[in-house]
Amino acid sequence: MMTWIKLALRNLFRNRRRSLFTILAIGLGFAAVNTLGGFTAYIFTSLKDSYIYAQGNGHLSVFKTGFLQEGKLDPTRYLIDEEEMGVIQQVLARHPEIVVVAPQLHISGLLSNGKVSTIFIAAGRVPSAVRRINEHARGMIGKIQLFDGKSLEDDVIHGIGLSRGLAEQLNLDLGSDAVAMAPTVSGQINALDAQVFQLFDGPVEALEDKLMSVSLKFAQSLYDTGSVDRLTLLLTNDDTTETVRAQLAGELAAEGLKLEVKTWNELSTFYTKVKQMFDVIFLFTFLIVFTIVVMSVINTVSMAIMERTREIGTLRALGFKRRGIVGLFAAESMLLGILGSLLGMALTLITWSGVAFFKPTWIPPQITRRVPLEVYLVPDYMLYSILLLIVLSLAAASLPARTAARMQIVGALGHT
Amino acid sequence: MSRIGPPLLVELRQVGKVYHLGESRITALKTVNLSIHRGEFVAVWGPSGSGKSTLCNLIGLLDVCSSGTVRFEGQDVAALSDDQRSELRNRGIGFVFQSFNLIPVLSALENVMLPLQISGVSTAQARRAARKRLAEVGLDDHAAHRPAKLSGGQQQRVAIARALVTDPALVIADEPTANLDSENALRITELMRRLNSNNGTTFVFSTHDQRLLERVERQIQMRDGEIIDDRSPEQPAMRLDRSVGL
Repeated sequence: MMTWIKLALRNLFRNRRRSLFTILAIGLGFAAVNTLGGFTAYIFTSLKDSYIYAQGNGHLSVFKTGFLQEGKLDPTRYLIDEEEMGVIQQVLARHPEIVVVAPQLHISGLLSNGKVSTIFIAAGRVPSAVRRINEHARGMIGKIQLFDGKSLEDDVIHGIGLSRGLAEQLNLDLGSDAVAMAPTVSGQINALDAQVFQLFDGPVEALEDKLMSVSLKFAQSLYDTGSVDRLTLLLTNDDTTETVRAQLAGELAAEGLKLEVKTWNELSTFYTKVKQMFDVIFLFTFLIVFTIVVMSVINTVSMAIMERTREIGTLRALGFKRRGIVGLFAAESMLLGILGSLLGMALTLITWSGVAFFKPTWIPPQITRRVPLEVYLVPDYMLYSILLLIVLSLAAASLPARTAARMQIVGALGHT
Repeated sequence: MSRIGPPLLVELRQVGKVYHLGESRITALKTVNLSIHRGEFVAVWGPSGSGKSTLCNLIGLLDVCSSGTVRFEGQDVAALSDDQRSELRNRGIGFVFQSFNLIPVLSALENVMLPLQISGVSTAQARRAARKRLAEVGLDDHAAHRPAKLSGGQQQRVAIARALVTDPALVIADEPTANLDSENALRITELMRRLNSNNGTTFVFSTHDQRLLERVERQIQMRDGEIIDDRSPEQPAMRLDRSVGL
């Protein structure tokens, strides 16, 4: 075996320039795919961590069944009352992997500066619970403050946060007073005084002039209710999300509650859309790169076969079987794949080290501040790339190699 | 027909070979009958296009005949698969080519080892056998040299060592002296003659070279795809059962 590998390796470097260009094409292709893969892995992780930790949405959310479809039409019907909350809390207490339980009540109404009013939508949350979720974030996500001003507090009910667009529309600034109005759950109009504690950027442009953040108590006072519309749960481990969801759904149903449990990625449409977009970009890049690789290998092997036709005839005359010829060229293309992958790994590591060293920054979607741009090293991508490149190299060589093996010996020996 | 003497190695009966080039049909060999016995030193000669190479290719199992039967060591080669013919060539036949056909990326020693390694012999064994053969052709000092570093005569001697390394019953040489100067041609001829005498290896070669013809014991003359003369001036008894297709 070693003899044939040695022969293949020496054959590979008969035309050094051609082989080096092919190895370079494979290496650059490998590095391009793995760098893009590393960047998309960073984007996905950042978006996920941003949604779960920075925005305080947790891994799982518990709703009344049908809330997501019908909740806006008949909000009171889908609220979770205090009695139900008690039962749910008992179920959740059986799960040590749930580290934070944050009830929420999402509200909408009018916000007024005393002269003009405009529509708002707001998430009423327990500020201390949200902070505890924030604290579990890894890396930079936990350190980023997404607002200007001061934090909301559980017991300082009148403190609110406004999206910059909404604040501009009402000419409000940090410390300004405002009035929030909304119908209560029983249908009467209610109003609450508020003070602007913080300003933040809306995650999407369409909501930039509507978003408000309030404490749960503010939301419940405005709606005149002790109920919530969801419970947000933070888990110790991202990987257990699906398992815990399934367990909770079963246990809550056993308690006679009509509740549904949704995972973070089911609720984060932005994450899903971005992931789909990057998956498509990755697929196209992958196809382009690997088409170039396959064509390079086919070209290299075909040229080698053409140049070495007489040699193929000689080997066949000496007793090399057809499959031996295929094997020899397969070994050569496999070596191209291996050497190209090694070069690609080196280039990927250099890129990764360069990014880690120079720490470039950028402003990603949904975040208004510059954050470090990262490229992750994804061992799985690398392993799959190596295997795929070797398989592709072998596949690319198989057709010309089979043609070489089927040559008439006499014709090959007479080739000039 | 029974005969006394060396056993039959190759037998061609009513063998023809036709090549198809597009719509053209080229008859390279007409009905040829030929027997070659172990230990013979046979030259096939004639003008270009007379069918010498085609005949050698059929005897060496490099090609299959269009009609008739080719038997090697009593086996009908048409009944063998491509793999079986490869195995038979590897263990039973050595080849010496006009252009030497050494593998340029292998050293002289590695070139000689090649047929043994194809048959699966261990590297150590193959190296020992190849060194012995290189010494026989006087090139043990050039074992590590790549073909490009050897002269034409030296390359052909490496090719002969390669052809002999598996101890084949037959060596086919296609114009082995055509690309050599007179001195080297003579040395190669003498070397083949000596190996034939000492080892009993059967040699069949095509040639134009009159000096080579003078040193063979059997000359087969061809013209237009037919054997027109088959003579053995020194050993007429060897040709008792030989039939010549004319």
